[in-house]
Amino acid sequence: MDAFVELSAELTGFSAEELRSTGLVEQYAELAQDATDAELIQLWYTGVWRGQIPSARAYAEGLAWKAVGVAPPGTGAPGFGSWEHRPRRSV
Amino acid sequence: MKAVVVGAGFAGSLIAKVLGDNGFRVTVLEAGTETGHDEAVHRFRTALVKSPLAPYRTTVAAPSSDYLINTGPFAYSSPYLRMNGGTGTVWTGITPRMHPEDFRTADLGRGRNWPISYDDLEPYYRAAEWEIGVAADADEQRQHVPVADGYAYPMHALPRTYLDHAVASVVDGQRIDGRELLITGTPQARNGVPVSGYRPDGHLCAGYASCVPVCPENAKYTPRRTQKRWSPHIELRTRCVVNRLHADEFGRVTKVSYQRYEDDTTGRHTRHEVEADVVVLAAHAIENAKLLLMSGLANSSDQVGRNLMDHPALLTWALMPQPIGPFRGPGSTTSIDAFRAGPERATRAPFRIELGNWGWGWSAGSPDSDTAEFVAAGLRGYALRKAVADRVGRQFTLQFEIEQEADPANRVTLSEDRDALGNPRPSIHYGLSDYVKDGLLAAKRVSDQLFELLKADDYTSYKPDEERYFEHNGEPLRYWGAGHSGGTHVMGASKHDSVVDQWQRCWDHPNLYAVGCGSMPSLGTSNPSLTMAALALRTADHLVSHRAEEVRCTMSKAP
Repeated sequence: MDAFVELSAELTGFSAEELRSTGLVEQYAELAQDATDAELIQLWYTGVWRGQIPSARAYAEGLAWKAVGVAPPGTGAPGFGSWEHRPRRSV
Repeated sequence: MKAVVVGAGFAGSLIAKVLGDNGFRVTVLEAGTETGHDEAVHRFRTALVKSPLAPYRTTVAAPSSDYLINTGPFAYSSPYLRMNGGTGTVWTGITPRMHPEDFRTADLGRGRNWPISYDDLEPYYRAAEWEIGVAADADEQRQHVPVADGYAYPMHALPRTYLDHAVASVVDGQRIDGRELLITGTPQARNGVPVSGYRPDGHLCAGYASCVPVCPENAKYTPRRTQKRWSPHIELRTRCVVNRLHADEFGRVTKVSYQRYEDDTTGRHTRHEVEADVVVLAAHAIENAKLLLMSGLANSSDQVGRNLMDHPALLTWALMPQPIGPFRGPGSTTSIDAFRAGPERATRAPFRIELGNWGWGWSAGSPDSDTAEFVAAGLRGYALRKAVADRVGRQFTLQFEIEQEADPANRVTLSEDRDALGNPRPSIHYGLSDYVKDGLLAAKRVSDQLFELLKADDYTSYKPDEERYFEHNGEPLRYWGAGHSGGTHVMGASKHDSVVDQWQRCWDHPNLYAVGCGSMPSLGTSNPSLTMAALALRTADHLVSHRAEEVRCTMSKAP
C-alpha cells in the first residue's frame, strides 16, 4: 500500500498525507493495479477510471479541483457570498 | 370548473396553483416520473458526463429530448426533460426580463411582433418575480429595462463573483462599437437576503456551483416549490402521457386521452380518458406542438409547430491575467446588456453577454480536459499540479445569447418513427438564418475586443470536426443550444397567422390554452423562463376572471 501511495504522490504532486486524507487509497490501489501512469493520474485528478466514476467520493475528492482550491461542483458549499472574495492561493 | 393541465413543469405548476386557489378542480397529467432530490444529487456526482439531464430518471414510455429526430441543415441541440417539475428542474435560474424592444421585433428587426407590450406584461413580471423568488436590485435593472416605481424585488441582488469585479474594474465605462459597457447584475431565482415581507423557501445560496443541473440545497427555484403550495383541489398524476385531445363540433375540447404506464423500462401501458371544461397544454414548446398536431387541432393558421426558436449561444473562453477563483457560486451573476437593443438589430441579431463563472466547464470540459492535456504533454508531479492550478484558476467564459427570429421554416412535425407508446417522435427541421449568423459573428468580434481590453489570453477555437461547427463569411463559428425552445404555438393578433391569442388561448378552441415558451413570438435575448412565468400568471388571471363566462358557455351548449 505504501508503494502505491508513494507512486501516486510522485505522479500527482500531492503528498502521501493529502492522498490518504481522501479516503480513497484502498479503493484506488485495488482498482488501478494494472494502470498506466496516465490512467492513475486521471483517476486521482478527475475520479474517472476507464470511462466510469467509481463512487461519488471519487468525484468529490478529485485532485484537479484541489489543485485549484475549489470543491467540485455540487459537493461543497463555500457559503453565501464567498464567491465574491479573492481566491486563496492553492499552490 | 374542471381543468386538466398537461405537464407539471414551470407554466403548468404555476397555472394549476392559481386555478386551485380559486376553486377549480384541477388534474395535472405529467408524462414523466419523479426523481428524489438526494437521488438526483448522487446521480449528478457519479455521472461521467455531467450533462443537464444526467441526474434525472427518464422512462422508456416518455423519453426526453433525446428522442427528437433532426432533419434540417443544423442540429437542434437544446435538451428538455419530461419529469415532474420538467426542464424547470434543470434550469440555470437566471431571470432577466425581456427588453421592451423585444416585443416589437418585426418592426425593429426580424421575426414577429407580440400582440402585447412590455407594459402589459410588467405587472405580471412583478408577480412572477415574487412567486418564483427573484434576487435583484430594481435600480440596477432600471439601467436597461423599465421597472415600476417603488417596486422591490423579493430578495436583494446576490453578491457578484470575484470575476465580475475583476472584469468590471477594467470594462465599465469603456466603449465597443460606440456602446458604453457596463457590467450589470443579473436577476437570479436563487435565495439571497429577503426584503421585508418576503420569506424565502429553502436555504440561502451557499455556492455549490451546480445550479444546472441540480442545486443540492434547493436554493434555486424549481416548480416543485410551487407544487408544495398547491391547494388540495389539485391532483397530480405522473406517468400519464397525453396522446390526444378531443373537440366537439363547436371546437370545444371535451376530453383528454392519455396512456398510463407503471414500469419505467417498457412501453407497456393502459389507456384512459378524462373530461374537462378547460384544458391547459403546458408540456414544453415541442411537446405542445406534437400533441396539437397529433390531435389535429388548433391549426387553422398552419402555424402549429412552426417558428421554432432557441438562443443559439456563442461561447468564447480565455484566461484572465490573474487567478479569479472560478467554480465558486452561481454560474453567472452579471451580464453586459449594451448589445440587447438598438438600431443594429435591423441588420443582425442582437445579443446579451453573460459573464461565465464556471471556468471552461461548458465550453471545453475543464478541468478534466486541462488535466488530460498536461498529462499528455508529459507533466507529472508538482509541475502538473501547478499547471492545472494556474490554468483552471484563471479561466472564464463569455456566453452570448443570440436572438433567433421566428422563421416558419424552423419547425416541429410528426415523424413516421414511433416511440415505445406508439406515438410519433417529433421531427425537427432547424436552421440558422444569415440574420442569426451575422449576430453570432458580431458577438465574436465583441468578444475579441473584450478579451483585448481585459488583457485576457483567448483560447477560443472552433474546429470543423466539432458538433455545430460552421463557417460564415469565411470565419469559423460554432453554436450551443441554450435550452430555450419557443415559438411552436405562436401568439398573435390574428387567428389567420397565429395559434394562440394574447391570453394563450387557441384561436380555434375557446377552452383550450397552449402555454409556455411555445407562445412567444420572439425570445429577445433573455433567458425565457421568467417571461413564461409572467405569461402563465396572466393566463391564470384570465381563466379565473372568465370562469363565469366559461360556465355559461358550457351550459348553453349542453343538450
